[in-house]
Amino acid sequence: MKIVISLLFSLILFASCKENKKQETTLPSNSIFNLTSNWKNQNGDSLQLHNLQGKTLVVVMIYTSCKLACPILVAKMKTIESKISRKDIDKVSLVLVTIDPKTDSSARLKEFAKTNNMDAPQWVFLTSNEEATQEFANVLAMKYKKISPVDFSHSNIISVFSPNGQLVSQEEGAIEVDNVVSTVHKTVKESK
Amino acid sequence: MKRLILYKLFGGILTLTFLFSCNKQKSDVASNTASIKVVSDSIGFISANVKMVYIPGGEYKPFYGSDSVRVTVAPFLMDERAVTNKEFLAFVKANPQWRKSNIKKLYSDSTYLRDWPNDLTLPENANPDAPVCYVSWFAAKAFAHSVGKRLPTLDEWEFIAMADDVSANARLKPEYSNNILDLYLQKDRQYRAVKQSKPNYWGIYNMFDLIWEWTDDFNSILTTNDSRAGQYEDKNLFCAGSAISSTDVLNYAAFMRFALRTSLKANYTVANLGFRCAKDAETQK
Amino acid sequence: MNFKNFLFFTMAAAIFALPSCKSGSNQNNSSAAATEEAQGTPQVAEVTGAPKVPAPVGNRGPKKWIVNLETTETEGIIADSISYTFWTFNHTVPGSFIRVRVGDEVTINLKNAANSVLPHNIDLHAVTGPGGGAAASTSAPGKETSFTFKALNPGLFVYHCAAPPVPMHIGNGMYGLILVEPAGGLPKVDREYYIMQGDFYTKASAAKKGVLEFDNDKAVAEHPDYVLFNGKKGSLLGANMLEAKVGETVRLFVGNGGPNLTSSFHVIGEIFDNVYLEGGSTISHNIQTTMIPAGGSAIVEFKCDVPGEFVIVDHSLSRAFNKGAIGKLKVTGDANPKVFNAKTLVKE
Repeated sequence: MKIVISLLFSLILFASCKENKKQETTLPSNSIFNLTSNWKNQNGDSLQLHNLQGKTLVVVMIYTSCKLACPILVAKMKTIESKISRKDIDKVSLVLVTIDPKTDSSARLKEFAKTNNMDAPQWVFLTSNEEATQEFANVLAMKYKKISPVDFSHSNIISVFSPNGQLVSQEEGAIEVDNVVSTVHKTVKESK
Repeated sequence: MKRLILYKLFGGILTLTFLFSCNKQKSDVASNTASIKVVSDSIGFISANVKMVYIPGGEYKPFYGSDSVRVTVAPFLMDERAVTNKEFLAFVKANPQWRKSNIKKLYSDSTYLRDWPNDLTLPENANPDAPVCYVSWFAAKAFAHSVGKRLPTLDEWEFIAMADDVSANARLKPEYSNNILDLYLQKDRQYRAVKQSKPNYWGIYNMFDLIWEWTDDFNSILTTNDSRAGQYEDKNLFCAGSAISSTDVLNYAAFMRFALRTSLKANYTVANLGFRCAKDAETQK
Repeated sequence: MNFKNFLFFTMAAAIFALPSCKSGSNQNNSSAAATEEAQGTPQVAEVTGAPKVPAPVGNRGPKKWIVNLETTETEGIIADSISYTFWTFNHTVPGSFIRVRVGDEVTINLKNAANSVLPHNIDLHAVTGPGGGAAASTSAPGKETSFTFKALNPGLFVYHCAAPPVPMHIGNGMYGLILVEPAGGLPKVDREYYIMQGDFYTKASAAKKGVLEFDNDKAVAEHPDYVLFNGKKGSLLGANMLEAKVGETVRLFVGNGGPNLTSSFHVIGEIFDNVYLEGGSTISHNIQTTMIPAGGSAIVEFKCDVPGEFVIVDHSLSRAFNKGAIGKLKVTGDANPKVFNAKTLVKE
């Protein structure tokens, strides 16, 4: 019996992997993994966005010295994280991209992650240079402007991407956390 | 692959493996695709023979959008005219990844180079010297890169836009905005060739009479297009209410430009939206 | 986000919060509608150009609707074979009349024509939400946007384009009416018509001979060349007169797009039996002239007792006599001398 199940699983596994392979050879042309910009995570590892491939992504842009909107966005990301079912959490990355790469170094992001109890493996913090940041913001259709050496105004958007980098949905302004969570669950389920 | 086979013997933990093994598969495949990729992502450089005008920059009062009332614009170089159909054709010839049939959906909506019958042919009735339109911000940026330039910033563009044909800052002249409005209200002007009208004070052509133009940081306007909340209060917000002279409120042409910019996303391609390139003044020397 | 920004957003939020809290003792308050669930799959709503209106909602419950609107910039006749470059919702001035019921869920699809020069959007005064939908619906030339709202308050509401510079977008004709009927619908009448007033500021187009276009200076000075019903001089005259029969009750949905003038709406030779003041739920009776603010409306009802041509005007009469704010309702049927008797005195 065990063998049968195992065989069955293997079959499914093969089938699904094959399908993945098919998708892979033609990365969807609207995938954010097409971006070739270089980033660093909170551990100082260099990466490109396609290194995030394979997991459902919840993405927000913030900056760590922000006193008003960003703490709310960060709190929402934490609520979203806590509401994602534990069996799915390893299939999800929660990605915080800084809009202030000059200030937010990898080390600073690491510090921020620690202070905010966001140091579990599902949390990814990214920093790059201003050009890559601008390009990424434009991919998200996010508006932002530096209004002083330490402050930005910016739109508040949380986006969900499928494991192959396609935009699934965006919540803007008064972000409904539960909407994001259900989108994440749906996306995880569909990409199994 | 060895690991994959090994794991398959243990049906119980297959679910876990699944992701893992697929991930493994992915990285293999990724390297495969990289090697068989026909279309390269790197930009092929082309030569540009458009005259660039030195703009000394200076302090200026933005129409709206800044916390500090005055903004300093550093010296820069600006193309005297917009990028033309002919030039964009040369760009896509050298850069297959930016051709109509190859462009990634991430970088453009469905109307990219809408009227081009194929990858390397201009629309039948198009003037090769008319500004190229139906190009996204991503494509405009790539073009600028290919000629060793960049897109102008919003402040740079607006700094030049203050000029009429005899003065660097004509904003206080009563006819300034109305003259631009007259130009803005004409339809289908994007089909005309560049440099057919008079240049402005700086020697820059066609700031208003042909097309809307992308700027590098077009997405830096957070004002909503909203009569009741946005445009009045937001100005108070950004400029502390004091910076708004009546001439600004009467500058309907500037309102239109800002409205247009706020309506855009970087992948949009629009019938009357093109671009010109700029460059830092230092790097030129 | 800095502190000023935060203040602004808080203030803005407070402003937007106000309309949603405005339910009072009135039985048609919005909180009741908010709890009613709209049923079924969304259907495309019938919309009409003036002076026609879509069919009444009747006794149905809340439903889901899709309203398709296209913004255009096109030449049309403003008066006596004079052309003007209008900006429109669905190719007409005023834009299409939208008719829904309180509790309905309405999805607005706004498409901006590919050959538009400018971005456009829609701010519906019937919407409870930021900017009446303006920011959510801002569409670049050739692009389409969409948002959904629940009609919480019954009434006759103006919608308009709110893209900067707003006075210009409205001055060029970008307005219309959306009627939100109360549960059970408005009382049945025999005739319903759609009239919308607007003030127009014109000058000769710099680019196109023989075509008029918006004059910024006249608009700022509030000196219109034309004050018109339904965007055209004579739109309710001659063959285009509104019609009714003796004994019928007529209901006029009257809006004022502005952008600047307040209308003193009057029908010469009639007294309004009912006026839904400012398009809301308070009904006033026996009114001669009702004020309609720019960006506001009124519903007027009257019974046609005698035949004749009844002149519809803005009773700021220079506008009627000199600037076009005049129309007619033609009532046919038998004379009723007890109500009105035009005697000719013959002297011996």
